[in-house]
Amino acid sequence: MTALGELTRPWQAMSYGFLDPSAKRELRRAMLKAVAVPGCQIPYASREVPMARGWGTGGLQVTLTLVNPGSVVKVIDQGADDSVNAVSIRQFVEKVTGARGTWDTQEATILQSRHRIPEEMLREDQILVLQVPNPEPLRPVQPNMSVARQMHADADYGRLWLVLYEQIVRSGRIMQGASYPAMVNGRHVMTPSPIPRWDLPKLNMSRHLTLLSAGREKRIFAVPPFTRVEPLAFADIPFRVEDHASLVCHRSGVTGFFMNEIPQTGGDSRHELSDSHFGIKAIRRAEGEAVEIGATWYRNGAMT
Amino acid sequence: MAYVATRGGERAIAQAERLYREGLGPVDRDRVTVIARSLPWLVDRVMGEASLYEPELAALALAQTGGDLYEAVLLLRAWRTTQPRLAIAQPVTQDRLFTLRRISAAFKDIPGGQILGPTLDYSHRILATGVLEDQPLSSAPVQKADHPAPPHHPSLAAWQKAQGLVADPPREQVAPDAIPDLTREPLLFPAPRAHRLQSLARADSGGVLALGYSAMRGYGNAHPTVNELRLAEAELRVRHPRGTVFSAGRVKISQAEVAAKNGGTRIRLGFAATLGWNEVKVISAATLDLNAAGATKGAPTEEEFFLYHTEPVEASGFCIHFKLPHYVTFQSSLDAMRDAKARSAVTTETGPHARYPHTSGDAGGASAPATLPDSVEQIGETAE
Repeated sequence: MTALGELTRPWQAMSYGFLDPSAKRELRRAMLKAVAVPGCQIPYASREVPMARGWGTGGLQVTLTLVNPGSVVKVIDQGADDSVNAVSIRQFVEKVTGARGTWDTQEATILQSRHRIPEEMLREDQILVLQVPNPEPLRPVQPNMSVARQMHADADYGRLWLVLYEQIVRSGRIMQGASYPAMVNGRHVMTPSPIPRWDLPKLNMSRHLTLLSAGREKRIFAVPPFTRVEPLAFADIPFRVEDHASLVCHRSGVTGFFMNEIPQTGGDSRHELSDSHFGIKAIRRAEGEAVEIGATWYRNGAMT
Repeated sequence: MAYVATRGGERAIAQAERLYREGLGPVDRDRVTVIARSLPWLVDRVMGEASLYEPELAALALAQTGGDLYEAVLLLRAWRTTQPRLAIAQPVTQDRLFTLRRISAAFKDIPGGQILGPTLDYSHRILATGVLEDQPLSSAPVQKADHPAPPHHPSLAAWQKAQGLVADPPREQVAPDAIPDLTREPLLFPAPRAHRLQSLARADSGGVLALGYSAMRGYGNAHPTVNELRLAEAELRVRHPRGTVFSAGRVKISQAEVAAKNGGTRIRLGFAATLGWNEVKVISAATLDLNAAGATKGAPTEEEFFLYHTEPVEASGFCIHFKLPHYVTFQSSLDAMRDAKARSAVTTETGPHARYPHTSGDAGGASAPATLPDSVEQIGETAE
């Protein structure tokens, strides 16, 4: 006779990857929908995870659903792998999945990021997971989610162009910083999450899949590989990335990439590479180590 | 690796958590027991917001976080979401509740009677400083009533329905596993009533009070009269796989029904219930429910507004996320601001292109302040 114990698995404190299978199934369905309709926000239930909302819980749920023990996971916050919250997320993913963590963009299979896309180009076998605080590009012109949903259905985006136009009238140029709105696949306007404008062209016709997930706001959207991502702009006033092309990293001597500005006591400022591990690799190579640095999206400060 | 040495996030977060835990001291079972026994109302509040009825785990969450309520609720929610669903309990109707306190402000007396039950409502709020001088606070034993109140009471709304004062829509027949559940599906608007009531049941007590109070003060269209307020215990009746329905225990619940008498020939009712005893929360939540119908977009009484903004885990998490570094986002705006400022200085100097007339008497105009207009709204900058 079969003992009851043989029919069940031993009790475990949590499922593999923390989320239970029903949560993962729901997320997979939402991700597939998001890939099928690029840029369209797909609602999902969004489980509580052992991290505060607004701290990458949406990205974390996607990562935990995609990950397997063979995955290599890179987590960055503002471009840095050792930023405190990035460390916390990477340690959690390693702990509950057995996946290996890495700082190296080239080596990672899943890259979870807050507010940056690495400078080295991503390949088709890599997935970028962007943490999204506010998934709704229409929020500043329409804070009501149900009305905004209707506006997306109608492709009613005139008020976004109006905001950009007002900026030009009032300040002489487009003042939008990060979270620059972009038309995806010619149909849905999305916010690319608060990545700098520098990173937005990296999403256009890229080889990798990008999943954008807002845990608190319970929305997921995607930019599939080889999908058009066009920043909103005017025929006579084109989209411009940050004016960082000529800045020099004071640590690595590298130039032509997005930089952090570090104010100095003398009143001036120094700059350092925002993609911290890219900077580390550049320093190591300069010191004579054999370090492999991948092809970058930008060359000589211009998008390739 | 000089680049890395200046950082060291991994060590910092480990030490920061140790420092916090050191301040709390070791958390053991005794501490949990003392909290569960001495702070039942706090435990109830946490259980309601966590939507997890387990007094011992709620006390543990309070002990583990040193009483930081939002942290405690997050701990319980994150634990709850991983638990399997073993069964769905039978619906609880009001006349089956074991009612310990039941009051109505709408009538002097009501069928089944008003039951005052345990309350501080009529106590004098004098701080018992004697306790600190070794005079323990204790009260004389409760004198039992000559005739004990019945454990079950009819609902007042049932009487009002029979009188034709309250609409009596037919009860919806919903299969147990088809009951809408916002922990398993997204909240969309207009929300199913089940989602609205579930969301209010889990809502932040302070949050629903703030928005409910705004409605009570006059930002709502309906003044709430407490039709019926109950503190009770509900039997958790579950169907055994063999078919027998049995009681798996009792949970404390509170519920409020508030009535608006204005408009038309019928009383309108607002309703809220939550796990644990928390009267302020259910009265406020029922007031929001009462005022939601026809509320204008963006009003505190609009369903989307109050459900989004009273979710304790989301609201507190987003609030504290502003402590995270935002220097990339900040950097992204700096070059545009500097460029706009430079342009503005140029147009000011050249005169004819200046958008604002100079008010200074300086003929050259070069010393006029830069005419940067009011802060320019950016898309998506409101919530990062």
